Amino acid sequence: MNLSKIINPTLTGFIRKEFAQVLRDPKMKIILFLIPVVQMMLFGVAISTEVKNIRIAAIYQPSDTAARHIHERALASGWFIPGKGQPGSEPLDWIRSRNADVVFVAPQEGLTAALQRGGAKVQLLIDATNVIQAQQVEGYLQGIASEVMAEETPVPRLPIQFDTRVLYNPAMITAVFMIPGVMSMIITVLTIILTSMSLAREKELGTFEMLISAPVTTGEVLLGKTLPYVVLAMIDVPLIMSVAVLAFQVPMKGAVLVLLLAAFVFVCTTVSMGILISTVSRTQQQAMMGSFLFLLPAVLLSGIMFPVENMPAGLKVFAYINPLKYFVSLLRNIMLKGGDFQVVALDLLVLTLMGALAVFFSVRRFRHTVS
Amino acid sequence: MTSPFRIRRVASIARKEVFHILRDPFTLAMALLLPAILVAIFGLAIEFNMRDVSVAVYDADRSPESRGLLRAFSSSGYFRLKGFAAASETLRELDGDRAKAALIIPPRFGHELGAGREGLTQVLVDGADNSTVGVILGYLRGVQAVAASELLGKPPQPAAIQFRTRFLFNPELNSRWFVVPGLIAVVVAILSILLTAMTVAREWETGSMELLLSTPVHPIEIILGKLAPYIVLDLAAVVFVYLIARAGFEIPFRGSHFVFLIGTLLFISTYLAQGLLISVVTRKQQLAMQFAIVSGLLPTLLLSGFIFPITSMPVFFQYFTSILPAKWFMMISRDVFLKGAGFSELAVPFLALIFLNLFLVSVATRRFKKDVEP
Repeated sequence: MNLSKIINPTLTGFIRKEFAQVLRDPKMKIILFLIPVVQMMLFGVAISTEVKNIRIAAIYQPSDTAARHIHERALASGWFIPGKGQPGSEPLDWIRSRNADVVFVAPQEGLTAALQRGGAKVQLLIDATNVIQAQQVEGYLQGIASEVMAEETPVPRLPIQFDTRVLYNPAMITAVFMIPGVMSMIITVLTIILTSMSLAREKELGTFEMLISAPVTTGEVLLGKTLPYVVLAMIDVPLIMSVAVLAFQVPMKGAVLVLLLAAFVFVCTTVSMGILISTVSRTQQQAMMGSFLFLLPAVLLSGIMFPVENMPAGLKVFAYINPLKYFVSLLRNIMLKGGDFQVVALDLLVLTLMGALAVFFSVRRFRHTVS
Repeated sequence: MTSPFRIRRVASIARKEVFHILRDPFTLAMALLLPAILVAIFGLAIEFNMRDVSVAVYDADRSPESRGLLRAFSSSGYFRLKGFAAASETLRELDGDRAKAALIIPPRFGHELGAGREGLTQVLVDGADNSTVGVILGYLRGVQAVAASELLGKPPQPAAIQFRTRFLFNPELNSRWFVVPGLIAVVVAILSILLTAMTVAREWETGSMELLLSTPVHPIEIILGKLAPYIVLDLAAVVFVYLIARAGFEIPFRGSHFVFLIGTLLFISTYLAQGLLISVVTRKQQLAMQFAIVSGLLPTLLLSGFIFPITSMPVFFQYFTSILPAKWFMMISRDVFLKGAGFSELAVPFLALIFLNLFLVSVATRRFKKDVEP
């Protein structure tokens, strides 16, 4: 097939129709161009894995200076806010009624007195309904207690010291962590759903028969159905990329062109997967459910929220056939690390292969449906 | 439309919708398969503790002390070490995503330690992956203490203050106990918002809504009839997740089933109303779907406290998230499951949910009425 055969009036007309159809509804323009930016802002600001604003209540005698120091230090650290504990009721009830997340109970004789005798045991009651938060709260308080102790009676430093540096995000800014993940999530959801439903819509409304009986080839129909969505998504990519860089100061260490290339390959892959979903579904509702069957595991097993390395072997298999995992890895590597050639080349290759497979199967499925 | 409201007509619309669902076994299967997939992923994949963190090592010292340090790392069980011939090579491993951390031991490490001075080692951690960096930093502190006591032959000194921590409601810090009760909200969000938004939008898109409206059936009857089967489908999915939670993951249920049922019904009807509102506004399935995801699913996954705690969000968002029914239901579900909370402890979430429910139901029905009555 030469180029003039692919780009013919039928195809351009078809593509123009598809564009008109998508953009006719002003609400669709909102979905396409405004919502992704809003989502970026929303999720970029709101999502944080750092635990803050923990309500702490403490029980100790007013004369107990050591306990008071720890309590005050905790409140000054920025992680804790004062919790409410009604005197007279059980500390357990404070937690149950959501008035406190953690209760610090000094020993009966007083922490100061206990320390003078050699060692003290402090009771911590922590609300563990949120597992991640509970572990961090204990860690914070241990750190604060040992800091306070070290000030009163200096302890020798450990002879082995680690000079630890967190590379690529030294200030550990959550937005820098999260934004590449949020970006890839937005692009995936948008492309998969739009494309999968567009072909299913033609089937549902009966216009699909018209399309088949028209003198267009399978390739033209598929290209006409995919190209507009690739273009629309590629308009979105620089849009959300600029939000990431301008609003969240996510570094852009690698080449923008490489990132755009990666986004293009990824969008082609997801659009082809969307088409594949729509070739197997007859109605838009089926296409929607099919998209979800792909999207939920794809987002959850991509390493955006939970590390892939930790997953059990059975689920790891799914993570490694998940295009989103490769795109997240590409975005992180290019934006934060500057783009290691080996990583970028390998991930791009895998994505291209996946896209090609999806195209192959959708063409086959499509021919099958038509005949 | 002066004929009074008839439950019989609601039932016939509902029957039609049930037939419609049953005729499309694909959608029905998906509706039941999706919750199962979600439970499987969240029940099995979420493990916040890590094993075998790959560490690129450059040991410039090659002394007994440096080897002792490496032994402390590898015997901790958290790290898998791989040696390199130069510091720059370990950096390349980090750049190429082949290692999560690099350990660089300087030439005079053993000598300094032997002389009674501090042995300083450089540790570089990959900060590009948010899900791992915090855990690795925590492990490093543990290894530091172990290595110091082993290399110098002194047992680690117990800290002056020892914490005896009681983790209430989830003493073993089982992450499934945290995630699975919250998952019910996510499953309901998918089924009720998405399915209802689509099903009513479909009637409009294919033109059959006009047909339905020209019959003597009241608009409210159409809506109730269309939604009734989805309430059943939702409840079935909730029962399914509940059973897996109890029987499969052995999560305790400490509260009252009645409280839980009331909360679930309130939540389901709120989300059905939201789905209905979306379908009335969009009238096209493709659009309805996008709006449902943006306003229903993503906020439920990301902003409701399901994984990311609301208390850690900026102040504005702590208030903003109050308009999300999922935030309140998340509290109800977790507290009833793990804390055994009743209506009195959950007064605020219940009141908020009731308010949001009344608001969304009234807006949805008013919008629907305005649309169908000329």
